Amino acid sequence: MGCSSSLPDRSAGRLSGLNNAENSGVPDAKNLRVKLVLLGDSGVGKSCIVLRFVRGQFDPTSKVVTVGASFLSQTIALQDSTTVKFEIWDTAGQERYAALAPLYYRGAGVAVIVYDITSPESFTKAQYWVKELQKHGSPDIVMALVGNKADLHENREVPVQDGIDYAEKNGMFFIETSAKTADNINQLFEEIAKRLPRPSSS
Amino acid sequence: METTHSLPFDSFLDKMRNPASLDLVRSIKSFIVSFSFNAGNPENDGKRIQDFFLTTEAAIRDHPLWAGSTDEEIDNALEGLEKYVMTKLHSRTFASSAEDIKMDREISEKICLLQTFLRPEHLDIPVVLQNEASWLLAEKELKKINAFKAPREKLLCIMNCCRVINNLLLNASISEDHVPGGADDFLPVLIYVTIKANPPQLHSNLKFIQLYRRQSKLISEAAYYHTNLVSAKSFIVDLNAKSLSIEETEFEESMQAARLVNRVPQITSPTIDKISTFGKQTDPGPSTEMHKRKTNINDHHIAILGSAGSNYPYMEAEAGELTVADVERLLGLYKDVVTKYNSLCNTVRHLSISKTTVSPASEGTNDLLRGRNGTSRDTDCKGD
Ligand SMILES: Nc1nc2c(ncn2[C@@H]2O[C@H](COP(=O)(O)OP(=O)(O)O)[C@@H](O)[C@H]2O)c(=O)[nH]1
Ligand SMILES: [Mg+2]
Repeated sequence: MGCSSSLPDRSAGRLSGLNNAENSGVPDAKNLRVKLVLLGDSGVGKSCIVLRFVRGQFDPTSKVVTVGASFLSQTIALQDSTTVKFEIWDTAGQERYAALAPLYYRGAGVAVIVYDITSPESFTKAQYWVKELQKHGSPDIVMALVGNKADLHENREVPVQDGIDYAEKNGMFFIETSAKTADNINQLFEEIAKRLPRPSSS
Repeated sequence: METTHSLPFDSFLDKMRNPASLDLVRSIKSFIVSFSFNAGNPENDGKRIQDFFLTTEAAIRDHPLWAGSTDEEIDNALEGLEKYVMTKLHSRTFASSAEDIKMDREISEKICLLQTFLRPEHLDIPVVLQNEASWLLAEKELKKINAFKAPREKLLCIMNCCRVINNLLLNASISEDHVPGGADDFLPVLIYVTIKANPPQLHSNLKFIQLYRRQSKLISEAAYYHTNLVSAKSFIVDLNAKSLSIEETEFEESMQAARLVNRVPQITSPTIDKISTFGKQTDPGPSTEMHKRKTNINDHHIAILGSAGSNYPYMEAEAGELTVADVERLLGLYKDVVTKYNSLCNTVRHLSISKTTVSPASEGTNDLLRGRNGTSRDTDCKGD
């Protein structure tokens, strides 16, 4: 559908072994590594957004991992020649697993909270996640509110202004995206990268 | 994986045998001795050991024996260090508190009950992901976890289990045209596999990895899959009717029925208690005892539910077919059945008086033994 892709290479489905020396283990001022947790109702387009992003928009040589994998990582280079490696943690969106979310956002540097602009319920759910993170997330977490499926404007039920207002009130970054058309997907991650706290270079 | 992984460890041991590393060896040994001497608390223990890993890492990086080594060689040495230290301190650091032991037992008992009635649909597992063969492979990886003592190797069991599940998801998306659901697919399957596997000492293993896996290694993908199993554990611990979207009464009845079924074999035969000493295994390898244990429980279920003839082969027999040679066997079966019937009656009576189950008082003694045994012995077997 909206974000279906060509079949991935089978070998790409394998997890990288623990033996691979994680040279990015020690972040420095030039090369950041950040844990990003995805929150939002099932069906709002979280997986599609990540796939759009990871499919090599920024670096055509980066290899795509499993389609639909729950853990993906992607490195982007910024204008100021720093790089940011996003380690993207997907969470199960079904209601019965909602109570487990704190285990996933603990220690996250970024939370991307996604709703579907055609679904007011998903916007309500997004607000629930914002409140939850304000209460229990780490205080310096960078939060982004994302209204996805912007291509479906004829079915829009959440006005852009509602998203803007809510985000502003809560000190979050806001953007509307379409994983289907790839609109604003790169911008989303670039903007997040710019907002990350930089470790002071030593 | 087992074969390649011991190589770095051997090379670490080789280096440690080199006279030039005497200072390092001394510092490692003295840390182990001083650590085993103090009875500490787990949170503090974790920090002490992590700090020691870091100090030793610095020492290794500066050490003449490793001069000119690549990052990978250094990393191998550090993996060797982790394995060496944590194997020596295993009994002191693994499932070492009464609470941990209790938690492990409670989780394992709850899983035993859930195994009798939980279905994939309860957890939103789509039909295309209901693949017994893949599940079995994933369970096998998870059940190996107590065959290893080093945090890294325990973590690898989890990673391997998750890899099997990811392959299942990938294949479903390719051949079944299943729209990939990411975590929406992954977590439910992991929970289901965990319940089917009932891995030994789940809580203690997760905690052990969390505390003692080198911190710079429990990141990224490894951290993600570790967190998912922590999450599965947490879901199981809190699991109630609502978690499965079923009626409260249905849930309670299923649990009650499961208690009945699970309890009988515990009373009538000592097999389960005996088998739970499988933790004695010291070396990596397939853990057959664990499989045996599960099969045993299943056999009992089947026998009690009366759906398998094999345990009671005379059910279809006619009197005329019997010979004198059958008498001994028949008598044995008769006694077995009567014993089971009696304990079943007792259980029913007991259950109607109080819902709480009386647990065998085995773990207390284990704890004492561990405290006295110090560090060098394998005391990692606990009844769970
Ligand atoms: N029109 C449209 N459909 C989308 C978009 N993003 C996702 N979808 C569709 O929404 C459904 C759910 O997407 P998915 O990424 O699996 O949602 P998740 O459960 O949040 O991960 C799929 O059928 C996608 O094809 C989008 O930007 N526009
Ligand atoms: Mg998804």
